[in-house]
Amino acid sequence: MNGVAIITLILGLGLIAWLSARAKAMRLAPAASQTGDRSRKRPLLHSLPSYHGWYAALWVLGPALVFLAIWANVMPGLVTGRVLQDPAAAALPMDAMSRSAILSEARNIAQGNAQAAFDPRANALIEPYRSANRFYSLGGALAALMLALAGGAFAFTRIRPDFRARTKVERVVMSALLLASLIAIVTTVGIVGSLLWESLRFFSMVSPLDFLFGLKWSPQSAAMGYGNENAFGAVPLFWGTIFIGAIIAMFVAIPLGLMSAIYLTQYAKPAARAWLKPMLEVLAGVPTVVYGYFAALTIAPNMRDFAAWIGIHNASSESALAAGLVMGVMIIPFVSSMADDSINSVPQSMRDGSLAMGATTSETIRQVLIPAALPGVVGGVLLAVSRAIGETMIVVMAAGLAANLTLNPFASVTTVTTQIVQLLTGDQEFDSAKTLAAFALGLVLFVVTLLLNIVALQVVKRYREAYE
Amino acid sequence: MNAPVSPDALRRQPTDWKGDAMRKRIASRYASERRFRRIGLAAILMSAGFLAYLMISMLSGGLGGFTRTEIAVRVDFPKAPIVIDPASLRGEGAEAVLSSVNWQALTDQAATSALGKDGAWIAPGAWLVVRDAVKADPAILQKSVTLHLPASAELDVAAKSEGQPAAEAAYARLEKAGLTSRAINWDFLTSSDGTDPTQVGIWGAFKGSLLTMAVTLLLSFPVGVLAALYLEEYAPRNRWTDMIEVSINNLAAVPSIIFGLLGLAVFLNVLHLPRSAALVGGLTLALMTMPVIVIAGRNAIKAVPPSIRDAALGIGASPIQVVFHHVLPLALPGIMTGTIIGMARALGETAPLLMIGMRAFIASPPGGITDPATVLPVQIFLWSDEVSKGFVEKTSAAIIVLLLFLLSMNSIAIYLRNKFERRW
Amino acid sequence: MSQPTPPKMSARNVNVYYGEKQAIQNVSIDVDTDNVTAFIGPSGCGKSTFLRTLNRMNDTVASARVEGEITLDGENIYSSGMDVVQLRARVGMVFQKPNPFPKSIYDNIAYGPRIHGLASAKADLDVIVESSLRRAGLWDEVKDRLKDSGTALSGGQQQRLCIGRAIAVEPEVILMDEPCSALDPIATAKIEELIHELRGRYAIVIVTHNMQQAARVSQRTAFFHLGTLVEYGSTSEIFTNPREDRTKDYITGRYG
Repeated sequence: MNGVAIITLILGLGLIAWLSARAKAMRLAPAASQTGDRSRKRPLLHSLPSYHGWYAALWVLGPALVFLAIWANVMPGLVTGRVLQDPAAAALPMDAMSRSAILSEARNIAQGNAQAAFDPRANALIEPYRSANRFYSLGGALAALMLALAGGAFAFTRIRPDFRARTKVERVVMSALLLASLIAIVTTVGIVGSLLWESLRFFSMVSPLDFLFGLKWSPQSAAMGYGNENAFGAVPLFWGTIFIGAIIAMFVAIPLGLMSAIYLTQYAKPAARAWLKPMLEVLAGVPTVVYGYFAALTIAPNMRDFAAWIGIHNASSESALAAGLVMGVMIIPFVSSMADDSINSVPQSMRDGSLAMGATTSETIRQVLIPAALPGVVGGVLLAVSRAIGETMIVVMAAGLAANLTLNPFASVTTVTTQIVQLLTGDQEFDSAKTLAAFALGLVLFVVTLLLNIVALQVVKRYREAYE
Repeated sequence: MNAPVSPDALRRQPTDWKGDAMRKRIASRYASERRFRRIGLAAILMSAGFLAYLMISMLSGGLGGFTRTEIAVRVDFPKAPIVIDPASLRGEGAEAVLSSVNWQALTDQAATSALGKDGAWIAPGAWLVVRDAVKADPAILQKSVTLHLPASAELDVAAKSEGQPAAEAAYARLEKAGLTSRAINWDFLTSSDGTDPTQVGIWGAFKGSLLTMAVTLLLSFPVGVLAALYLEEYAPRNRWTDMIEVSINNLAAVPSIIFGLLGLAVFLNVLHLPRSAALVGGLTLALMTMPVIVIAGRNAIKAVPPSIRDAALGIGASPIQVVFHHVLPLALPGIMTGTIIGMARALGETAPLLMIGMRAFIASPPGGITDPATVLPVQIFLWSDEVSKGFVEKTSAAIIVLLLFLLSMNSIAIYLRNKFERRW
Repeated sequence: MSQPTPPKMSARNVNVYYGEKQAIQNVSIDVDTDNVTAFIGPSGCGKSTFLRTLNRMNDTVASARVEGEITLDGENIYSSGMDVVQLRARVGMVFQKPNPFPKSIYDNIAYGPRIHGLASAKADLDVIVESSLRRAGLWDEVKDRLKDSGTALSGGQQQRLCIGRAIAVEPEVILMDEPCSALDPIATAKIEELIHELRGRYAIVIVTHNMQQAARVSQRTAFFHLGTLVEYGSTSEIFTNPREDRTKDYITGRYG
């Protein structure tokens, strides 16, 4: 019996349980005309009939579905165990590698994932696999059905007028809510755990000091067997990331974003604002791969021509400048909306106070509003930097792969995210230092963006409190 | 009052506002005011200009990708080296008969006989047109018909813009003979990735995107809404709740590529889920989208005034009933807006999907969420790496499709926000 | 009460609209330097709105529209020749809630003189700051901490700082919009004392909720109701012998 069918069946049982439990509860309920009549034997229902229905349905669905979930994970082991009991398995080689290769081939054929076996020894095991599969899946399905029925029966016996079905159902709903919010923690733990685990494996091969302070990055040489020494110095990557994301991009994004926010909040007429704000939102909604394509195809060649025109002849077509400029444009809406928020949270009375002194609007903005909003703006810029250094597609498509330590914006630099993508592309074994280096880079990126965010949120929060 | 009468030194003359110096000063202050205002306007116009430049360059480069150059070729079926009985194509087994024919050879021969050496400029996939024409109307097998066959990528480029000299010359000859035409390239919308730019389409990647988004939505929406409800309505103020909040706020700011690393390490290497599949892509993007939905959801829930909760509690509703009967329906438009924005972001996301192997070359649309698939943004990325010049306009065309979807999603979100935004 | 000099500011038939809604209806009033003028009336009667038309602060509200004539020394402040920046320097304003800038005490006072270029040297600025703080009655309290932030002062001190800030540009008129409503009684007393001392040097108009305050600080009182000027006269007359029933009802506490 396949999985979809059994789940559908159990869901159907759940529906039946809901309907019949509700009907039973309704019969228990006193008729409307009798509610006031306390002498009758039928007391008031504690909970609405539909809660009794939900109670029964939960008892039908819960245990059965949990069992199925566990069974789906346990079954492959059981199946393999049974196959190994089969006389045909005695012919398997003892060597663990080829043994498991043959087994998985047989399993794939038995499940219909593959057509023919590469290793003829697998053929003998197909039939045992099929029968074991049938045996255990049928067994699992039967057990799940039994559980569903048993759960339903138990719930049914408990339907009485004074039974607190609503309380029970609500407790389940509450646990579901709690569980949903715990997923955030699980994800965070998953990220930290997986990054840390793989990074530790990497640092068992490469010294963390070499990684964090080394000046030479050439993982290819490590992969080609020249050893891990001097291959994983990530400083050029860190520099490239900062150069593009925190310097060039911010040169574009901070002035343009800040001035846009000022214009929108202080000068633009409502009609103009109604058009310009969504325009910025569109700019923020353009996917990064589009920016990357644009940077690589349109901006980068222009930058190279421009460099040649001003007399720089060794300019790269994958310049830091092209990637940084486009990334800056991508960040403009972000800076602008953060600045917008900060300027708007400066109390109106400040602005009035300054205007009433005879200051012009621009004097008010420059000398009162901006200084007052500065912490919020700084927080926003930090968030923008954290976003820029974590941005991947623009740099993958428009920045280069050469790990240069250079100040020349027309030269090619590489970044942390570019290298993560580069290292994990293609088929490598998962244990090589080259592959694991991606996780170490990921860990650094995660920690840095996390710190930036925490600091930025603190700054913004304290600033908000100052004006409340 | 503690201040003594001001000494004479502190006495000041009233300001002479009419004086020349003051007039000049005020004029220069107004000039600087105008300058500042103009700088602000220039800043925002630069953003608008960049957006316009981007849109126009994508449109001008990509609209051509929806059309193709066709060459009129006379195919003389009776003289062709094939023997098919038209009747055999009208019943059972037509597919078998059709697949037994060497259409490629037939097409090449017809092109050569009709166009001479310029017959080499038809696309490698042109035989599909011939086959489909026969399939649609077997009667043409007895006559000689003119079919419009797609031109090769080189000729297509030459027709639309600047191509290689040989292709330009060939196109000039064919155009002079009146054999070329432009037609809408429906194949672009219905086929999948390929090696020849004349044959590629976005349907495979689009379907991959749909499947991935379905998984993302099914996972992140319920979880996000439930978590938002819990945090906003029931969570006790304690360390656990603080941890959950901190996690969610930080997850919303974690770079997307980190989610890709998580997906690679956990979903592929620990749980052994299928590589390159929409299932894993959807799971990864769901983790990324969930915090966005939680944050939007909390804001929407927060905006429901407490008086509504008090009213419901006051007539004896349980806390769960209050939330599910009153708060949630009122907050739903806000939650929907946040969800659409989160989904639009996920739809445009590329980097995490590269990590979990959705960058493979996949020439047929995925059948289900466990089949290898790719998505639109990744397809754009893959095509942008292609050397052949014919891929340039295909990339831009795919970008147009992606942008259309994102823009319409965002417009729906803005519409919802404006329509249902309530001021309490 | 006689008026030997022509009025500093005078308003004739002023109407103010917010969009479609009329907030001020046909108000005419004169303000002079020798007297403190108090605007009283129930909340929402338009007294603050009218005050804000006197230095064109209503310009910052997009939907506001002012009709009629308001003159400063005989010059129409709504005429195209009048410069708002100059006008606001000549007609200073103190707000309901103290709103010192998040700068040092010194910079708060120096803000106006700096933007208007009233001091050419640092020494001049120092003199202006000291004299303004002295006149605001704040010098002795803050002379040793001029570099501290203006927002670190107490509420009453902040409000006196704001008055000092307004004085620093040597205005001709000072408008005060309920300057004591956010302050405790002791701080209020200090501000009232300050208003007494400033009288004669500046034309002072004060909007207040508090009728006792109006009686204490002002020589002339205007009673506003529903956007109209009901009665305007010497304070003692308004409080002891009002001509209009509405004024009487208000000052005896029938409504408000």
